[in-house]
Amino acid sequence: MGLLFSVLTFTSITIIGVISIFIITGLTGLFSLGQASFMAIGAYTSGLLVTKLGMPFPLAIIISVAMGVLFGLIVGLPTIRLRRDYIALVTFGFGEAIIAVLNNMTSVTGGATGMAGLPQYTNLALAGGSAVVCIFMARNFKYSRFGRQCLALKTDELAAKSIGINVTRLKLTAFLVSAGMTAYAGVLFGFYTTYVDPGIFNWTKSAEWIIMVFFGGIGSLTGAIVSALILGTLPEILRFASEWRIVIYSVTVLIIINYRPKGLLGERELKLADIKKLFSSWRKAL
Amino acid sequence: MLIQQLLNGISLGAVYAIIAVGFALVFNILKFSNFSHGGVLTVTAYAGFLISSKLNLGFVPTILLTAVAGGLIAMGIERVAFRRLRKKGSPIILYFVSSITMGMLLENLITVFFSSNFYSYPKFFEKSSFTIFGLNMAVTDALMLIISIVSLTILMVVIYKTRLGIAIRALSMDTNTTSLMGINVNAVIAATFFVVGCLGGIAGVFLGLNYTLYPQLGQLIVKGFIASVLGGLGNLFGAVLGAILLGVLEVTLTNIPFIGAGLSPVVIFVIMLIFLILRPQGIAGKIVHEKA
Repeated sequence: MGLLFSVLTFTSITIIGVISIFIITGLTGLFSLGQASFMAIGAYTSGLLVTKLGMPFPLAIIISVAMGVLFGLIVGLPTIRLRRDYIALVTFGFGEAIIAVLNNMTSVTGGATGMAGLPQYTNLALAGGSAVVCIFMARNFKYSRFGRQCLALKTDELAAKSIGINVTRLKLTAFLVSAGMTAYAGVLFGFYTTYVDPGIFNWTKSAEWIIMVFFGGIGSLTGAIVSALILGTLPEILRFASEWRIVIYSVTVLIIINYRPKGLLGERELKLADIKKLFSSWRKAL
Repeated sequence: MLIQQLLNGISLGAVYAIIAVGFALVFNILKFSNFSHGGVLTVTAYAGFLISSKLNLGFVPTILLTAVAGGLIAMGIERVAFRRLRKKGSPIILYFVSSITMGMLLENLITVFFSSNFYSYPKFFEKSSFTIFGLNMAVTDALMLIISIVSLTILMVVIYKTRLGIAIRALSMDTNTTSLMGINVNAVIAATFFVVGCLGGIAGVFLGLNYTLYPQLGQLIVKGFIASVLGGLGNLFGAVLGAILLGVLEVTLTNIPFIGAGLSPVVIFVIMLIFLILRPQGIAGKIVHEKA
């Protein structure tokens, strides 16, 4: 039972991370290869505030998310106007820089050995609840005016500009929202494992989330959630295959990109009616 | 002292230049950032080790064989990860994801098969360094510099003087028109990937020699990226310039006691940000526009 709870908690945190990628990659088509470093910022800021300054947990969450957004602003402002490739490169460099800082400020962050002794404030209810709230936020995002503008931007940036959409502001908003959300995922992560070290937050983590979004279907929120559920829980259950985990991921994604480039669901969203239909067809088959 | 540092920086930059040029070549023709190049670096670093230790070869044959191996690997990557996408005219985003996935796949295959043991290259040379004009130079550094210059010269000759080079340059402008001119686009792209893989193989051996062998070695590809951002994305001369600048910068930063090797990624990142604000088109000049 304990294992199941921990798997579900980790999956909820992964879902939050994947949704933050969905907002930036799925909605606006930008790539962040340093998304995990925002998670590091969240985890370390909140951890330091609580353990060193004795700050109450909720206040620490708010400050950590603000920190995530602030760093997002520092990275985003100069690069968001440029070609899409630059965002990927700069966020990648940002991830390296953050890891270097964490590794070198040994007196504050514990360096490469990590920061231990965080109290375990996160539980399944908090993580699961947060995941649900984030899903709801992303859904509202997608169906709002903002989301429709993003769709236009992703499909054709020039056309979107020419009908008067402020492309730069739109991209920056998406980037900041996703940075804040990832920082929050980092807080939950740190206060669940009670221990963090810089190595957890390398670019492979960010790439894993991007892969999950693509696995589910680039434009589909439910697709992203389903794939986070599948790809997030499977390796936890198949612990013995942990060495091969990423290899299996990568091969799966290569196959999907080559033979079903739209991902599991493509642009479609899974609706309650779909699930009902699926169940009734099963019943008929039985 | 200053000249000594400059020399060290330039020879470090020489390796970055080979990485950056390989990256820029693919960017030129397919217009995406090829992250799978990092996987090529990792695999060839280990391949070079296997070739030199299992076959008991000297330095030059090792480099040549590894370069060929790298070329074949890169051609294989193109076949598996990009050929179908091109046939179907998929959006650039998919190429990008495909290349990231390919890079991760190669890195993790090496992790699965090699990470349990520690490997290092055999000693190729009797002496590890020599003195010239009062300047100290490691033998590997000198070779790095010489081989980089030779391979970059060969590359430039190929790009600017041969039929293949003309075809590659034509492709970088427009695929369809090139195809209509009777050029076999698939073959030219495969050949380009072979060239890129050869460069990756050479860089891989040097990385393996300079650092110890570890599966994440390929992440040094980021140096190539930074170099080509500094130089101007997709511009070959710019990539070389940016790489040498980056090498000199890194060596200088490492020697500043307050920064050291640990914090130099941070300073490099900040410099890159400032560079992007002031001169987003890079040293070499032309900005690459997204096709409307």
